[in-house]
Amino acid sequence: MAGLRISPIPKKDKVRLVVNGREVVACRGESVLAALIASGYVKLRIAPGSGEGRGAFCGMGVCYDCLVTINGRPNERACMAQVEDGMEIAIDE
Amino acid sequence: MSKLAYEVAIVGSGLAGIAAACKLAEYGVKVVVMDENIHIGGQFLRRCPTTRKASFTDVMDLMRKKGFKLITLAKEKNVAIMNRTKVLAISDQNELLVEDNEKKISTIRPQIILLATGARERFLPFKGWTLPGVFSTGAIQSLVKSFGVLPSREIFVGGSGPFLFTVAWELLQQRGRVMSIIEQKHLMDSLPPSGLLFFNASRFLQSACQIARIVFARVPVRYATKIVEARGRYRLEQVVTSKVDRLGRAVPGTEKIYSSEALAVGHGFTPNIELAQVAGCEIESDTTKGGWVVRVDQTLETSVENVFAAGEITGIGGAPKSLNEGNIAALSILRRLGKEVEKSVFSRHQKKRERLLCFARYFNSLHMSSDEIIKAIPDETLICRCENVTIKEINMAIQQGHNTLGALRKALRIGMGNCQGRICTPIVRDLIHIHAKATKEEDNEILPASTRIPVKPLAIKSLLD
Amino acid sequence: MLPHTADTVIIGGGVIGASIAYYLSKKKVRAVLLEQGELVSGTSSACGGLIFLQSKKTGAHLALALESKKRFAGLNEELGAEIEYRNEGGLIIVEKEEELQSIDCHIAREKKLGLEVSFLDRQEARELEPCLSENFVAAVHCPLDGQVNPIYLSLAFLEAAKRSGVKVFPLTRVTDIGLGEGRVESVITCRGKIATPIIINAAGVNAPDVGKMVKTKIPIIPRRGQVVVTETGPQLLKRGLISAKYLEVKQAAGLGEAQEGGTSAEQTMSGNFLLGATREFVGFDKRTTWKAMKTIVYRATQLIPGLKDLHIIRTFAGLRPYTPDGLPILGKVTGIDGLIIAAGHEGDGICLAPITGELIADLVTEGRTDFELGDFALDRFEEKRDGRLED
Repeated sequence: MAGLRISPIPKKDKVRLVVNGREVVACRGESVLAALIASGYVKLRIAPGSGEGRGAFCGMGVCYDCLVTINGRPNERACMAQVEDGMEIAIDE
Repeated sequence: MSKLAYEVAIVGSGLAGIAAACKLAEYGVKVVVMDENIHIGGQFLRRCPTTRKASFTDVMDLMRKKGFKLITLAKEKNVAIMNRTKVLAISDQNELLVEDNEKKISTIRPQIILLATGARERFLPFKGWTLPGVFSTGAIQSLVKSFGVLPSREIFVGGSGPFLFTVAWELLQQRGRVMSIIEQKHLMDSLPPSGLLFFNASRFLQSACQIARIVFARVPVRYATKIVEARGRYRLEQVVTSKVDRLGRAVPGTEKIYSSEALAVGHGFTPNIELAQVAGCEIESDTTKGGWVVRVDQTLETSVENVFAAGEITGIGGAPKSLNEGNIAALSILRRLGKEVEKSVFSRHQKKRERLLCFARYFNSLHMSSDEIIKAIPDETLICRCENVTIKEINMAIQQGHNTLGALRKALRIGMGNCQGRICTPIVRDLIHIHAKATKEEDNEILPASTRIPVKPLAIKSLLD
Repeated sequence: MLPHTADTVIIGGGVIGASIAYYLSKKKVRAVLLEQGELVSGTSSACGGLIFLQSKKTGAHLALALESKKRFAGLNEELGAEIEYRNEGGLIIVEKEEELQSIDCHIAREKKLGLEVSFLDRQEARELEPCLSENFVAAVHCPLDGQVNPIYLSLAFLEAAKRSGVKVFPLTRVTDIGLGEGRVESVITCRGKIATPIIINAAGVNAPDVGKMVKTKIPIIPRRGQVVVTETGPQLLKRGLISAKYLEVKQAAGLGEAQEGGTSAEQTMSGNFLLGATREFVGFDKRTTWKAMKTIVYRATQLIPGLKDLHIIRTFAGLRPYTPDGLPILGKVTGIDGLIIAAGHEGDGICLAPITGELIADLVTEGRTDFELGDFALDRFEEKRDGRLED
């Protein structure tokens, strides 16, 4: 899903993430959430109680709806985590 | 564990926090500023790292310009800045327990603490507001402004208050398409009293510029309209709106359905008081300030000695109030540290604060939802997103006598989830008030539920390392 | 509106008061329950949900717990509300070799009393609970142990009592008790006075305050127990567990300053873990501490490594009503007709709530109980028979 970035990622700032085994290009310094959204990942998890799909809502670390697994650490907030080259992210699909 | 002796620890790097840090650093005070976010500057001071050059936005907006200058200044003055750092607890010896950006845990024991933890958004829930693709206005703003990412090329904006227009304007600036702006209030109810116009001319002028840009872009703006439903199978596909009458009730037959992949919603702001609660600070309830706020005296000291508070947590008031209070708090702290501070400077800031508080009352009134509009929320609407509790369940429990936040927490697990009630509490509190009014019971001041450490969830892994 | 008269007034809206209210309502007693704060807002809302038989003192205490346990099975249905009761059994985890000997004695004593317990080696214990680590020596399994949601249990008792006519008044503080000729006559509250021939002091940690109103010393002291709550996680732990250390601290009654509380762990129906424990004498301070949180979590992860993937979302602390010998105080108060006490259960209030409610209700209506309450009488603490406080 191209076209969600306002300007292309400068070459020197490109980092690579792995989302559920698929490679995703992100921009150094950005949040994991920004990287996921820019790559078209909106639904990030299945709510344990209801089984509904959920994605980021508040975007500022309050609502805990954007929880993903980052480098094996489950339930980390995508909106508060910063991308790093080679980072592995798992989301519920 | 605590390595550096900081005289002052500031929690929150928004305008209030950063302004205070700069002022303190000017006097040679050793300061550390901590913020949970990736960037420094809080919700107001965001800018995209890939398009760093000052945009038109920054040039026009003096307040933002000042803010970014302060961030630069703070770095020059050797203010220690810790981003992605969570303050998990404040002990009764005013010791802070901190998880830093490497998930390492340590303690900081400053002489004085300044809480500038800002605000979060409030929401008026509607059917489907938990669908992926429905974001808070703040979330959209942060994606666009901090990271240059649009959630979708076309975005629907709805809720209440001037922030909707700010976000819509920012989207337009960044080549997003705003499909429509839906404002729940009637236009006439949003107009400011003329006295306020006079004293806050620059603010209104700025709003006017934003609206002009929105009109110029031919974005339809619909007043007296609310979002009734977000629909979609796995993510947002459609937004349903309806006209509302003067009381905020949906007008039958005015429903409209729009296709949309991204919806930004927001209904005002409420202070982040949780850390202050844990520190033992007294909290007061004032809807004209945005809900529960930290009680402060003229010098912005809280009820706990050597713990000060500034910015949105003492009452929602926007950037100028935060800047002003950051300065006042810094001056008070300097005095406490035994530094000479000119009295006139202090009183000048104080006077300004009075005026800003007047504006704040008007600003918060723009977000208040009428009882009728809250009562009109359909039964099956989720209120507590963490524990999946519907408004019907809450109303029934309140009727059965669980008419406090503590009682509702026990009966329905509201606020027991990951967000610890941060998202649903404002609306639950409204529901309790409405019930009290309807039954003519004594409408006691509703106290916030207790907050315990850790203030935000803490990975057990971090704790053990 | 507070009624002017009642057959019985219960002071205390925790699990004990709620249970008494319920069993009284079954006997059609016109009871009134008064709670100074919100209902179920004290100890009963700040505890775990373990119903452990293995942890009781052998003797009357265990016998009481066994009777109580029998009543749990039917409660869900009887109360018409979900109380999340489960009878999956419970484990005592022996972490150190040197604890084995006292555990052997413990097992022998319990078996003698007819409690079904079995000694498991590490491997057997891990077969029962695969989430357990290798960091322990052995375990004791009791199939009768169970778990319940303490808040739901308390609320369900109250709701059922209300349906059968008990009047429940939160935010109603008792300020005095009216006496006449050696018997109770009335309860005076911040909202008015209720004439009543029977008063039940079920005020938990606040029971001594009620005692003072009739110049009776009640040796209950608040003892803080901190609990760490994790986010909801995958189903890992089926049974409740406590460490041998926990048992030792619990049963060593003395007023030791040891904060050590051993380990307790359970996973609620919602999937959250409740981890404990501390036993601290810090007055009425209900705050939680960073130090305790760290210790509790460290110890719990030693036994259940899977916890490391979870977040702590909250901590809370409850003030357990401690008594010097670790037994609750149940029964009539000698010298004051019509005054009954049911308090001081420390950490056993949830487990003992059903039987306490039933026995106290019997005491109100029949004047006696089938179960011998002598071991639990208030006068056991008195050196002389007349233990009234001097003015």
